[in-house]
Amino acid sequence: MNHQPTNHVPTDEAAVLEVNSLNVQYASFHAVRDVSFAVKAGEIFGLLGPNGAGKTSTLSAVEGLIKPKSGTITVAGYSALDQPLHARANMGVQLQATSFQPELTVAEIIKLYAGIYGVSLTKDRINTILSEVRLQDAANKWFGQLSGGQQQRVSLVIATIHEPSLVLLDEPTTGLDPQSRRQLWERIEAMREKDHGILLTTHSMEEAESVCDRIAIIDHGQIITIDTPQSLIDNNRDRPEVVRASRKGRVTLEDVFIGLTGTEVRS
Amino acid sequence: MPTIIPSTATVFSTLLRADLTTQWRNRRASVLVVLIPVVILVAWKGLIEHFGGAFVLANSMTIGLNAIGLMGYSNSIARDREKGIFQRLRVAPASNWSIMASRLTVQLVMITVLTTFVFIIGYQYDHIVLSAGGYAFGFAMAILGGAVYLSLGQMIVGLIKNPESVNATTRLVYFAFIMVGMYAEFGTLGDTIKQIVKYSPYGVVKRIVAAGVEPATWTRETSYALLATFVYTIVFTLLGVRWFKWSTR
Repeated sequence: MNHQPTNHVPTDEAAVLEVNSLNVQYASFHAVRDVSFAVKAGEIFGLLGPNGAGKTSTLSAVEGLIKPKSGTITVAGYSALDQPLHARANMGVQLQATSFQPELTVAEIIKLYAGIYGVSLTKDRINTILSEVRLQDAANKWFGQLSGGQQQRVSLVIATIHEPSLVLLDEPTTGLDPQSRRQLWERIEAMREKDHGILLTTHSMEEAESVCDRIAIIDHGQIITIDTPQSLIDNNRDRPEVVRASRKGRVTLEDVFIGLTGTEVRS
Repeated sequence: MPTIIPSTATVFSTLLRADLTTQWRNRRASVLVVLIPVVILVAWKGLIEHFGGAFVLANSMTIGLNAIGLMGYSNSIARDREKGIFQRLRVAPASNWSIMASRLTVQLVMITVLTTFVFIIGYQYDHIVLSAGGYAFGFAMAILGGAVYLSLGQMIVGLIKNPESVNATTRLVYFAFIMVGMYAEFGTLGDTIKQIVKYSPYGVVKRIVAAGVEPATWTRETSYALLATFVYTIVFTLLGVRWFKWSTR
């Protein structure tokens, strides 16, 4: 199946996430430098960068896990720094290494997070939610008993249980087989159809090209460029460093990425 | 669509329900925490005649409180931190204090269960009968004593990130407190060590619990021990909170 992004036009041009002049510093290391971008409702926005580029630090600042040195972060109109609870209530997060209490069943985990987000769920409703993601038999299983793909589906359910304006996905398809990856892409696109704004980090160029409406490439803590995948390819295909990176004569998003960020392997 | 911010009470009760369920499903470990003090109560029955019921109760309760704070609480915090459970909670609209308060409340329940068991076994098997004031005051002192070890456990997880290292350290501290504490009390390790242990976290907790179950024996020295309890709790808590990282990454 050839997976192509839909020409989805966000119904509301208002940004669900606005990051302005964000700076994150760890001791003397400047991880994020003056980063600015916005994610609109009904848009999948990809944040790409090599290892150590500042993606996770940017995401962590938006999620409220670290305090930035300067800059502003606004989620659905709420300042993430001044009104963190309001910002988090409008945000659904799937962390890269999500784990839940191993002593709780899947149904109990869903109920826990629904409660924290202020959503009241009956047992029947939980079963319905799990059926919608084809996990109807998982309600009484431990989270650790599920396969990688099933765990990601549960994590995504929990991230969207409260219908947030903004959904943050940190490398959601890492470690998944192709079928699970495609299914997850479909779910992410379904979220876009419901007008969620989605900020996604990924190392997969195929994923970025297939799913994202716009992409920001970040390196050494700074945003190099923001554009649609096709525009990034079209606008950079003639750059010598991109041409050098291309293989078999066809310029891909990966070639543009390598051309813009370099060929050096990052630890 | 208006933003739903659940009330603090709702968030706290949701977290508490999950944490109590988790504790219940780890009940094998919880049983051990209660079992060791009960074993001491049974094994030390012969000492009651020489040292009194309060001495035996205080020692067994102190050992149990030690286990709850050092091994139960700190190991569960270290393990969950390593798994990223706290980070997942922190990206939800749950304040840091409600996450920790829920965990501490579970330990409070454990302290209550431990104290109840010790009182019941003390009565049934050792025939230690306390006054109503002794039971009530003993409970209160057990909670205060538990706070010392919970705060010490917090300091350990603040200092040490690796869960295996936390596990090893807390076991070492647990056994050191018990062995040194008990032997020092009997004078086996000399007078200097005895004096040091008297004002150690082990010694002050044991003193206030002993006086708590027998209020008539409360002296000025017990008041100093109570003051030391507060000081230890405050210092350990401040250091534990200051040094604590929510993630190992």
